[in-house]
Amino acid sequence: MDFTYTSEQEMLRDSLGKLLAQGYSFDQRQALLRSGQPHSPAIWAHLRDMGLLALPFAEADGGLGGSASDLVAIGELLGRHLVVEPYLSSILLGGRALALGGARAGALLEAVIAGEALVALAHEERHGVGPLALMGTTLEQGRLTGEKRLVLGGAEAAALIVSARAGDRLALVKVDPAAAGVTLREYTTIDGHRAATVAFADVAADVLLDDAEAALDAVLEGALLALCAEAVGAMGALLQASSAYAATRKQFGVPIGSFQAIAHRLADMKVACAKAHALLLYTTALIETGNGGSRDIALLKAQIGRLGRSVGESAVQVHGGIGMTDELAVGHYLKRILAVEAMLGSTDYHLRRVGAG
Amino acid sequence: MDIEFSPELEAFRREVAEFLDTAPTPEIREAGRKMTSVFAPFETVMAWHKILHAKGWSAPAWPKQYGGPGWSAEQRFIFAEEYWKRDLPPLLPNGLQMVGPLLMEVGSEEQKAKYLPGILSGEDYWTQGYSEPGAGSDLAALNCSAVADGDDYIINGQKIWTTLAHKANRMFMLVRTSSEGKKQQGITFLLLERTDYPGMEIRPIIGLDGIPEQCEVFFENVRVPQSARVGAENDGWSVAKALLKHERGGSAGSPAMYRKLELIRAAAADTPSPHGGSLLGDPVFQRDLGELEAEIASHAAFEKLVISRHPITADPSLPSVNKVISSELAQRVSVMMTRVAGIEALPLQHAALEVGSGVEPLGSDLDLVAMPYYLNSRATTIYAGTNEVQRDLISRVLPTA
Repeated sequence: MDFTYTSEQEMLRDSLGKLLAQGYSFDQRQALLRSGQPHSPAIWAHLRDMGLLALPFAEADGGLGGSASDLVAIGELLGRHLVVEPYLSSILLGGRALALGGARAGALLEAVIAGEALVALAHEERHGVGPLALMGTTLEQGRLTGEKRLVLGGAEAAALIVSARAGDRLALVKVDPAAAGVTLREYTTIDGHRAATVAFADVAADVLLDDAEAALDAVLEGALLALCAEAVGAMGALLQASSAYAATRKQFGVPIGSFQAIAHRLADMKVACAKAHALLLYTTALIETGNGGSRDIALLKAQIGRLGRSVGESAVQVHGGIGMTDELAVGHYLKRILAVEAMLGSTDYHLRRVGAG
Repeated sequence: MDIEFSPELEAFRREVAEFLDTAPTPEIREAGRKMTSVFAPFETVMAWHKILHAKGWSAPAWPKQYGGPGWSAEQRFIFAEEYWKRDLPPLLPNGLQMVGPLLMEVGSEEQKAKYLPGILSGEDYWTQGYSEPGAGSDLAALNCSAVADGDDYIINGQKIWTTLAHKANRMFMLVRTSSEGKKQQGITFLLLERTDYPGMEIRPIIGLDGIPEQCEVFFENVRVPQSARVGAENDGWSVAKALLKHERGGSAGSPAMYRKLELIRAAAADTPSPHGGSLLGDPVFQRDLGELEAEIASHAAFEKLVISRHPITADPSLPSVNKVISSELAQRVSVMMTRVAGIEALPLQHAALEVGSGVEPLGSDLDLVAMPYYLNSRATTIYAGTNEVQRDLISRVLPTA
């Protein structure tokens, strides 16, 4: 057994860490959000040059055939730096769903991997994610009807990859966001990402894959693993910030970390981080060695959601009033964790899947 | 024991209900539906304050001699129940529940005559200048100073977490007038009749919810008359302690929580479950909603015991117990709201939250307020003495034999 990163992965983490330390400090990230740009084209180009955009795609699709642990290794860093680049939306969700179309994905996939175009996956609906039978979006005779929620990067996408119920199958289609019948309401999420509600009213759609349920599940599971890695990165940053603050912030003449109530809260945060980190790495190894499946991912997602929320809320409490301000990174980590917890199946949803056996 | 309200009180309930059904403007109702904090949207709630004042109902807890309606505790509870049923924005607490009662208790006749009418009518809003960057839970460590100079004090220093200071025209504050003896002994309580004195600068702080509700206030040689003092010089700590009692309890919070529970239940009935059917039909959700209702019921029962003057009111840790219960309950309720909203709680919707903006929210009313309310509520276990400090206070007076 070995759950450590390979030397190649450590090198990749090292160079990504340096890039983010220089170009994605918290202040730089906040300035980027204030600028109104959805992401930083310069950083995106750097990520491409480092091979990260190609990493999760198969070599046959023009990618680097990266592994689950590759994505977890970089995901932790993306979380630690609260990166809002469209890595999840355009690469892990939109791009990998597009790639399921094989030859039908065409030149667009090349453009996505080259960092020249963005795509988005439109999958969640009002209840979030759920079984195919509950999917409200339908495809009939090549026409798409329904409404998708939380379409990450939807307004910046050159194409929307949409899941739809076609009889008793799940079809994956490609839609031009400018096509007649597409209505898109864009918004910014609490954690600084861009997303949209997208309605389709009898829209012409290109079928990428007409029986896509299992393949799309695999894409979603890969994205969930990376998302959990992001949350674990954020949790580590929160623990570090909170213990440092408790050691320097004085009340009643002593550092607040010397009060048992605070010390034990910090200890609980540490315990939660250890549980989350261990489960993340072990689940990654299960997936990478072909021993894991959707149930393992569901269990991880639920556990990270629970532990992440607890660490995030504790971090705010330890920081006191200053933790309630927009100025500090603490609240932004909490908001990222809350978004991770809610998307692609909430904690409740995944816990029930696990509990059902 | 008796759980019924008398027929006279039920008649009173009808009178209250009729007024609350007809008096608020559509904007006031909108402000109530868009509450994401203890503090309602400022301009709208001050307009509502003036309407309630015209009816004589702006200060339910005030005695008649100061312009209150002279209601009993039961009448006040009924008023709060009817008020919350209609999602009306609560009047801002600083004047009505803090400075006002304090002045009645310890203010000079001149101070009462000067300040109580403006608090009652809603002409004035008072911000609280207590905390400082180095003095939060350890409030007595404050060092914003006031030095006597002729008939004046000259104030230098900084305050923080001054709620809505950027909207306030008055401020009550604690200053250090002596550094001798115990740190509690050199504190003085002042009433500032302006917030735009030369040398005074107010900077809003953006919160987790993206809303500027709190402020920092900087004082540089700000000159105020010594007549601004409440109580004796260096005796401000006992004045503040009397006031903190009002902040830490004694109000009727459970009707608001019951109302939120109703809204959660209604929204859950209208929310599809990923397991099929509605969220309200989901047995796991039902179990958790049941637990939440049990928590609210405990708090409501506790408040009813207090207003009936049950012997528990003699418990010295009562304000701390009440603060822990109510603050943690508000957080649980807010978590349940975000759980119902799910991914619909993730869009930032500041424009839609603004009263009178006319911007349609993306989802339901609950989806709109769930996340900002959750984020804002993280402060409930921090403000007015953190819950860690409250638990210390509770444990200190536990029987040891």
